[in-house]
Amino acid sequence: MNSMRSVLGRLAGSFRKSPADTELDEELRAHLEALTEENIRRGMEPEEAGYAARREFGGVEQAKELYREQRGLPFLETLLQDARFGARLLAKNPGFTCVAALTLALGIGANTAIFSVVQGMLLQPPPFPRPEQLVMVWEDVHLPNYQNDQNTPAPGNFMDWRARNSAFNGMAAIGYRSWNLSGDGEPLRVEGEAFSSDIFSVLQIYPILGRAFTATDDGPGAARVAILGYGLWRSRFAADPGVIGRTILLDEEAYSVIGVMPAGFHFPDPDDQLYVPLRLTGEQAANHGSHYLRVVARLKGNLTPGQAQSDLAVIAREVAAQHPDTNTGVGVRVIGLREQRTGSMRRPLLVLSGVAGLLLLMVCANLANLLLARGSSREHEIAVRTALGASRWRVTRQLLAESTLLSLLGGAVALAGAVWGISALRSMVPAGQDLSAVVLNWTVGIFNFGLALLAGTVFGLVPAMQSSRGRPLDALKDGVRGSSPGRSARVRRILVVAEMALGVVVLTGSALLLRSFLRLQEIPLGFEPQSVLTLRVILRGPQYADLPRRAAFYREVIQQMQGIPGVRAAAGISFLPLTLQGRTAGLTIEGQAPPAPGQLPFADFRSVSPGYFGTMGIPLLQGRDFSWSDAAGAPLAAVVSETMARAFWPGGDAIGKHFKMGGPGDDAPWITVVGIAGNVRQLHLVGEPRPAIYFCAAQDAGNGDTLRDWVVRVSGNPADAASTVRSVIWRIDRNLPVSRVQTMEQVRSAYLGPQRFNVLLTGLFAIIALVLGAVGLYGVAAFSVEQRRREIGVRMTLGASRADVLRLVVAQGAKLALVGLLTDFVAAAMLTRTIAVLLYGIGPHDPLTFLSVGVLLFVVAILATYLPARRAMRVDPAAALRYE
Amino acid sequence: MGEPKAEVLQGTLDLIVLKTLDALGPQHGYGIAVRIQQVSENLLKLNQGTLYPALLRLEQRGWISSKWGTSENNRRAKFYSLTKRGKKQLAAEAESWERMSSLISRLLAGAES
Repeated sequence: MNSMRSVLGRLAGSFRKSPADTELDEELRAHLEALTEENIRRGMEPEEAGYAARREFGGVEQAKELYREQRGLPFLETLLQDARFGARLLAKNPGFTCVAALTLALGIGANTAIFSVVQGMLLQPPPFPRPEQLVMVWEDVHLPNYQNDQNTPAPGNFMDWRARNSAFNGMAAIGYRSWNLSGDGEPLRVEGEAFSSDIFSVLQIYPILGRAFTATDDGPGAARVAILGYGLWRSRFAADPGVIGRTILLDEEAYSVIGVMPAGFHFPDPDDQLYVPLRLTGEQAANHGSHYLRVVARLKGNLTPGQAQSDLAVIAREVAAQHPDTNTGVGVRVIGLREQRTGSMRRPLLVLSGVAGLLLLMVCANLANLLLARGSSREHEIAVRTALGASRWRVTRQLLAESTLLSLLGGAVALAGAVWGISALRSMVPAGQDLSAVVLNWTVGIFNFGLALLAGTVFGLVPAMQSSRGRPLDALKDGVRGSSPGRSARVRRILVVAEMALGVVVLTGSALLLRSFLRLQEIPLGFEPQSVLTLRVILRGPQYADLPRRAAFYREVIQQMQGIPGVRAAAGISFLPLTLQGRTAGLTIEGQAPPAPGQLPFADFRSVSPGYFGTMGIPLLQGRDFSWSDAAGAPLAAVVSETMARAFWPGGDAIGKHFKMGGPGDDAPWITVVGIAGNVRQLHLVGEPRPAIYFCAAQDAGNGDTLRDWVVRVSGNPADAASTVRSVIWRIDRNLPVSRVQTMEQVRSAYLGPQRFNVLLTGLFAIIALVLGAVGLYGVAAFSVEQRRREIGVRMTLGASRADVLRLVVAQGAKLALVGLLTDFVAAAMLTRTIAVLLYGIGPHDPLTFLSVGVLLFVVAILATYLPARRAMRVDPAAALRYE
Repeated sequence: MGEPKAEVLQGTLDLIVLKTLDALGPQHGYGIAVRIQQVSENLLKLNQGTLYPALLRLEQRGWISSKWGTSENNRRAKFYSLTKRGKKQLAAEAESWERMSSLISRLLAGAES
């Protein structure tokens, strides 16, 4: 040790001549000169005097080294020394090092990956100036038949709020639009928005090219203008600055391009690519009954969303008094923009962060245990070092350096794994979220290594403190080979129990989520999603302007599609089920008393082609399906859902009854119920299905709805039919974009996306936790067996059979496991309450789940102790006794 | 003394240096070495090089202080002197040596009888 130090010291000295060194040189020279002079005075020749002086002095270089040693090497060098020593030790035990580094990588990597998503989605403020001032404003509707606290506002309400509020510096409205973009190039389906012209001052984002909308552009008679999104400008127009002033065709209508938005601007949806003015007509602006806008506003000064909401609530009450028919029960809800965007992901992400943190704790407990076990066998080495003069702090520091090195190694592996993990997470996150900021950046990297260092300190501290407390004299004596010092064993047992507690929590939570997810999947959809291909084709343009031509198109398409070999049936609908899109309106039932103001019954409605129910496998319970003779001119027909029939015509036969869309005073045509279909989950899987109406697409029931989504039932793999179906469409009309081609099963999976995300990730964590727990238990049990070899040898000599020994070891392990499990369930019970919100159909304390997890863990624990126990059985008693 | 066994030898040298400085007053390294030789009548074969690390250690502990000055033959030399703490330490160590040596003497006397 000393020589290494002096070598290092000499190395250090050789390229760093500090002032202290120069002073020493001078001192030593003076000393030697004095000695030489003394020798000369005694009569020696000058040269001989010099040599004699040096001999008397006794080694100048050694003196210098000792001096430097005393002065102490710079902190950095001691650190390097410790690190080098630690590295050598780790290299000597490659097995342990690999396992430890990998488990660390798992724990740290999981946390890093989750953190990258958290920081990319939750921590990023929306990319607007002063984003904390931006809010979305919704209608908060409370009616007996309809509740929705994020209802899209009606234009009339928006106008009233904007005119009368005192809480906002600006309020703008947004309407969803989508078009067939044609003209130069392939027809493209483009999603976008219609903005009221004040949107730019509200958001404080302006086009980078050209100009923004003005109030004139927003007026009813203005020329048609459009602003391109950055992505569309690059992909379709090759980022040509000359695009300003160019004409594009949207749904066969000419629009003039007046501007391009900056890169990264997608508001409010990630898919938005094109923006046009909203251009509300006078009639639309006065309409309080059609709800389809979105409203964004900027708060004044330091007002909170809550304060703004109170301000608007007063206005809402005034409006309700002025328009009781449409606005009774219609309040206001103000949500901050950031919360709006991340709200649905916040809780699952936080839960996942918690789970990942638990996992890391488990890893630390595991490693602390392993290091503790190893520490007792290194007592000898540590004792020697202490005897040679190493202080307790020195020993602790050296052990900490080892654990830190290990954790940094694990951290490096974790970072590599996190790259893969992040891309995997991105693909799993439910659609519709803005993922652009979820990347491996400096913040994530620093988090990763910071966590690694923390972990290393945590799990290295316990064994380091234990080991350095050892009594050197005892350990130096031969024959006492670290027989479990009582305190160390107890600490290890506590660690194991703690680790199992964490494991139980992770496993139980994951099991609950899994069962909840399975329940969700089992909910009957009301239709058969297998073997169905879906696609979206939207008719736009003057050739489809009137209903008869559209109906002709529908009929042609269905006929052609049904002619494809392998296709069993084809049909169309305005909005597919489970796509969170749909339309709802109020209606009046013939022969029933007019409802109180604002208490119109509501129903979801869609248009379908004849044969839709058969194609989707929806049972027709009574009456008949539509046919092509339900066309313009024929009596208006509708098929209603089971719930609707029961709700609006209780106890009677709904067939033949009449209703109309709108209120009792509205001049709308009466519609006859011709059939009752089984309930279908359209918007929500959870909760009672809402009343639903189906209109025939060939008739105009006054709602102007067209067919957008097409469903094709095939007798093989639906994905295979995609290209054929597409070519059928294009044979009929070359210019129609075909989009959203996916199987119905894929639609359903996408709908369950958020839940699936939770389940997949927590499931993954649960498996990791299980493996960690098993490895930890195995390590402890194996080491315990190793320690007790002599005891086992003695027992066997005294007559115990191998089976007895096995039973002994396993029984002890089982006892530990049982105690651990029982205490852990308390912790798990407390913690699972936090995920109660995410569960469906199952309580957070579901006994079956808890029991199964308990049994599983117990079995794993037994297995983990059984394997080393088997090794114990093979102990040769004579050899064990001899082994000192 | 209460110091770990490994540092016993160093402790003895420390005591000797402190005592020397107490007797001589401020002195440089060579002077201390000469004095030790004189007093021990050359019985104590001191490796003179070890003096300097010892002096540094004593200075690190605050028992002596150093200052550059001019020696008797007009050379630049570093002079060491005892601090107040050093004086106290010297007294304490001397006392424990006394106790230790009288104990050993008594033991030896006892063993003979």
